[in-house]
Amino acid sequence: MKKFLPLAALAAASVLLLTACTDSGASPSAAPTEDDAATGELTTVRVAALPIAETGALWGAIDEGIFADHGLEVEIVPAQGGAQAIPALLSGDIQFAIGQPFGPIRASLQDLGITVIGNYASSLEEGKDVNAVVSLGDSGIVSPKDLAGKRVSVNSLGAAGDVTIMKAVQDDGGDPSTIEFVEVAFPDAQAQLDAGNIDAAWVPDPFMSQIVGAGGNLVVHPYQATVPGLPLLVDITTQELIESDPELVADFAAAMTEALDWATANEDAVRAAIVTNLGIPEEAAAGITLPNFTSEVNVEAIRELAALAIEFRVLDAEPDLDTLIQPQ
Amino acid sequence: MTLASTRARRTTRKVVLGTAGIVGFLVIWQLIPTLGIISPEYLPYATETLARLAMDLRDLEFWRNVGRTMTAWFLGLLIATVAATVLGTIVGLIPFLRRATHTTVEFLRPIPSVALIPLAVLIYGIQIQAALVIIVFASFWQVFVQVLYGVADVDTVARDTARSFGLSRAERVRFLILPTALPYLMTGLRLAASVALILAITAEMVIGTPGLGRAIVFYQAAGDWVGVYSLVIVTGLLGLAINLVFRYIERKSLAWHQSVRGEEVL
Repeated sequence: MKKFLPLAALAAASVLLLTACTDSGASPSAAPTEDDAATGELTTVRVAALPIAETGALWGAIDEGIFADHGLEVEIVPAQGGAQAIPALLSGDIQFAIGQPFGPIRASLQDLGITVIGNYASSLEEGKDVNAVVSLGDSGIVSPKDLAGKRVSVNSLGAAGDVTIMKAVQDDGGDPSTIEFVEVAFPDAQAQLDAGNIDAAWVPDPFMSQIVGAGGNLVVHPYQATVPGLPLLVDITTQELIESDPELVADFAAAMTEALDWATANEDAVRAAIVTNLGIPEEAAAGITLPNFTSEVNVEAIRELAALAIEFRVLDAEPDLDTLIQPQ
Repeated sequence: MTLASTRARRTTRKVVLGTAGIVGFLVIWQLIPTLGIISPEYLPYATETLARLAMDLRDLEFWRNVGRTMTAWFLGLLIATVAATVLGTIVGLIPFLRRATHTTVEFLRPIPSVALIPLAVLIYGIQIQAALVIIVFASFWQVFVQVLYGVADVDTVARDTARSFGLSRAERVRFLILPTALPYLMTGLRLAASVALILAITAEMVIGTPGLGRAIVFYQAAGDWVGVYSLVIVTGLLGLAINLVFRYIERKSLAWHQSVRGEEVL
């Protein structure tokens, strides 16, 4: 009898719990019912996208039905950075990826058959940019040249972050070779600053606003200071897919163009999509600096970035951008 | 004093000590952010985290994630155990094979299976198969090496006895090799079960296949540390549950073995 008591308690508890059950994973995109008839004809594409605020445009556009209008059912695969997205593209498991331009640049140097088919988001040419180098209020680091000889964090070494920071420091009269770059994930940057493990951090929003709002210094917007309007994220696919299924690629590119135009015109919907998909509070999402959502690739800016990367020895050869970038 | 009452007292003491350990852990955890050793912004209070955990338990998506992680864990462990038992027995019984593979095994075994993630993703994409490669690779060696030793550990007297009694090959495997190797296999299995869980969660975190690991990364990206630590507790509890289950299986299947019997008699 004694043995059954815990069992009975467990059963009672589970009944109690189940009656009060919630489901945070319930698909919010199940709402549009009139589209259901057409669902049978949709082609499913798997798209790798980072779980970051910029992806708000894509989440929002999917719910808006823009991709469905182009005959596409988009399944977002939350790849953790280009390191997983490019192998997954090559394996054929995913058809497209939205990632930083540095991944495809490196891939093109290795002849992996990776192609950029369009722009997704660019940094802002003036005003408050989407990311910044920030430091604590009492650190004394206020301008780029102060970063010389300091420990500065970026989310991944050898990419657009450290390259543009080095250039910004050089332009300001500092010695970029003395900066010690450290790899720290964006969400961990503030804790590492507080702990004194790093002197400054390169972060996007919401972290940029959080740190500056708490009395930190905004040292520099490295993209804006060095290559204004630098592409943040681009649409990536494989040369193989372009050759084997040009129609699919064209459909996707057309849908993306429409999606990005929609995102530019409907900032509130993008912010709402960020809140639901990223699980951050509404106030935090409201304060996020959104990038310039545009499908037009600024090839010159990417060329400049590649040239800087060679100058600072992050890359050792010039990528063939004419093969790499093929706007659809 | 009767044997039964000694036993009951021992069990009570075990429970009391175990509870004291958990309570102590929670108190220390609660004190770290309270005393400001680590800012509560980055290490949330134990109470806050447990409250969040209670909320999680009522969320269907949470249980789906537990299911996804445990599915990957189970499949990975199953594949690794079957493959390692079969290969381990074959290699262990044939001295030539054992010598030929020894160096290769010792070379492959310490390779961290996380290092194989890009390769696994290149072959299978962001799918459960890629996660399984990582899980199987890590847990395979735990079982394989144990089976190898187990099969080689047959008592010479017992082997000679079996031979003089004219046992056939199948009978020798059944009555001689299997009982000798079983305790080793069980140890390997228990180790592999824990390793498989660690790798199942790691794979979800790094590859991005759905499950508890991916949920942790999502919370992290959103700066939701309470969410992160509530899931970290869950992974710990899963590990604890797996260990308890496998200890139980080990005891039951080895009830005849002196290592298990000895504990009870003393």
